[in-house]
Amino acid sequence: MARLVLATAAIMLTAAIGTAHAEKLTIAVSTPEVQISSNFSGTSITVFGVVEPDAATVSRVGRYEVAVLVLGPARTVVARRKDRIVGIWTNWAAETIIGAPTFYALDSSDEIDAITTPVVLDRLALGFDNIPFAFRGTDVNDPDTAEFRAAFLRLKEKAGLFSEATDVAFIGDTIFRSITWLPANTPTGRYSVLAYLFSGQSLVAHAEDTLFVTQTGFDQMMTAFAHGHALIYGLFCAGIAVFVGWLGGVIFRRD
Amino acid sequence: MLIYLPIAELSVNMFIIFGMGGAVGFLSGLFGVGGGFLLTPLLIFSGIPPVVSVATVATQIVASSTSAALSYWRRRLIDVKLAAVLLSAGIIGSGLGVQVFNLLRRLGQLDLIVSLAYVTFLGLVGGLMLTESLRAIVNTRRGRPAPLRRPGQHIWVHGLPFKMRFKRSRLYVSVIPIVALGLVIGFLGALLGIGGGFIMVPAMIYLLRVPTNVVIGTSLIQIMATMAVATVLHAVSSQSVDVILAIILMVGGVIGAQFGARVGQTIRGDQLRALLAVTVLAVAIRFLVGLVTMPVERYGLTVLGAG
Repeated sequence: MARLVLATAAIMLTAAIGTAHAEKLTIAVSTPEVQISSNFSGTSITVFGVVEPDAATVSRVGRYEVAVLVLGPARTVVARRKDRIVGIWTNWAAETIIGAPTFYALDSSDEIDAITTPVVLDRLALGFDNIPFAFRGTDVNDPDTAEFRAAFLRLKEKAGLFSEATDVAFIGDTIFRSITWLPANTPTGRYSVLAYLFSGQSLVAHAEDTLFVTQTGFDQMMTAFAHGHALIYGLFCAGIAVFVGWLGGVIFRRD
Repeated sequence: MLIYLPIAELSVNMFIIFGMGGAVGFLSGLFGVGGGFLLTPLLIFSGIPPVVSVATVATQIVASSTSAALSYWRRRLIDVKLAAVLLSAGIIGSGLGVQVFNLLRRLGQLDLIVSLAYVTFLGLVGGLMLTESLRAIVNTRRGRPAPLRRPGQHIWVHGLPFKMRFKRSRLYVSVIPIVALGLVIGFLGALLGIGGGFIMVPAMIYLLRVPTNVVIGTSLIQIMATMAVATVLHAVSSQSVDVILAIILMVGGVIGAQFGARVGQTIRGDQLRALLAVTVLAVAIRFLVGLVTMPVERYGLTVLGAG
């Protein structure tokens, strides 16, 4: 009996591995380069995906589930908590968060917990609870870190930079579409777009693409100027100020 | 209309910012002050990072003080020698202010120090100004003449060494209080994003006994120079001067100041001072409330950099 169970399990396992690479997933981002210009007030990007089942998987029962993740560049962030010190609320406790993405938008075709197992969710960093980041110099078991982690997620969500949705739309059986909103305060840099295809709780295919968020035109020039030639930029700003002041004084001359 | 600020990395409504610049410009024209102490808090309260607010208001103050200084220059109401001594010290003070600003920013205590400083200085100056102007108003009502200032009166300041002659102000005083004043104003200006006129003007009148007619023009020159230096130093040390934000504020401020100045001429001096005192106190109280009440959100995030 035991041997039979083992054998069945082995066959099922082989089948699972065998089909794991049977589907081909291809994705494309509508705007591979999002340009932030002076009238930028946020924009949406669309991720299109195509599932190509091969002959062996056409007969697969149940529908596909998809999770699309848009990840912004990682940056080190200091989170501070205000505490009451001699009657005054001031920044007191602080934690340095390393490696957390600046932007995290998860879109899936169903509730993420229903799509796959917690182990897979954790491995693929799907869901707020599974976003990987570390605290510098603090024990992971420190009760404070849980509080800081929750606060970090809450602030990011409030800023519109972290989001979870279940809006992946299938067009037919094999084509899907996911829309992600990049708000006005979207950080610049290289973004990863990751798509995961699930069938019957297991991951069957994945695909990756990149997205660049860059400043353009005058704004890009000014940012590059401000960082690259800080002294000249400073003198330039002071110069403009003197000029505008002088101009105002001349235009509105009253004597 | 939304406009993207490249340094602050966020979008703001251009007309709201323009309106703020205009409103503060109006008040500064009305009261004859720089208005930095109103503009910096307004920007911070509207969501612009404090670092960018302080640095950018420094730039805006350069424009508004240039504009105002120009009209005093035409009327020869500036003591150039006094201004030169003040601004030399002011530039050093400004340099120190930027250093302390960056140190506090790293420690995460910039907001606290800025709030405490606003409460202290605005509360003190606003309180003094209010009592002085109310007394003046009561005196006028009762038909009593304003107390005359005796020009020959000496206080401890006039006993200090290193005396210098300032012909335009008809003064012969020690440079120590002048240098100290320049240092303090330059330091506070760079640290808090204020011109400091509201501290400097009374100090010059009551401490140094500079004639009232040259006080404002001279202090404007000092403010213009120290804020220009603060702009450059902030740009170099923290890259936090937002040129787009600065230009919107400048244009709004310069226009607003013209209307303010016109209205200001129709209001009596003591009433004007009482109004200014109330405004200054209101800002101080707003900061005090922020310090002592429990914040809605106790947590805050600061991005350090890539990694």
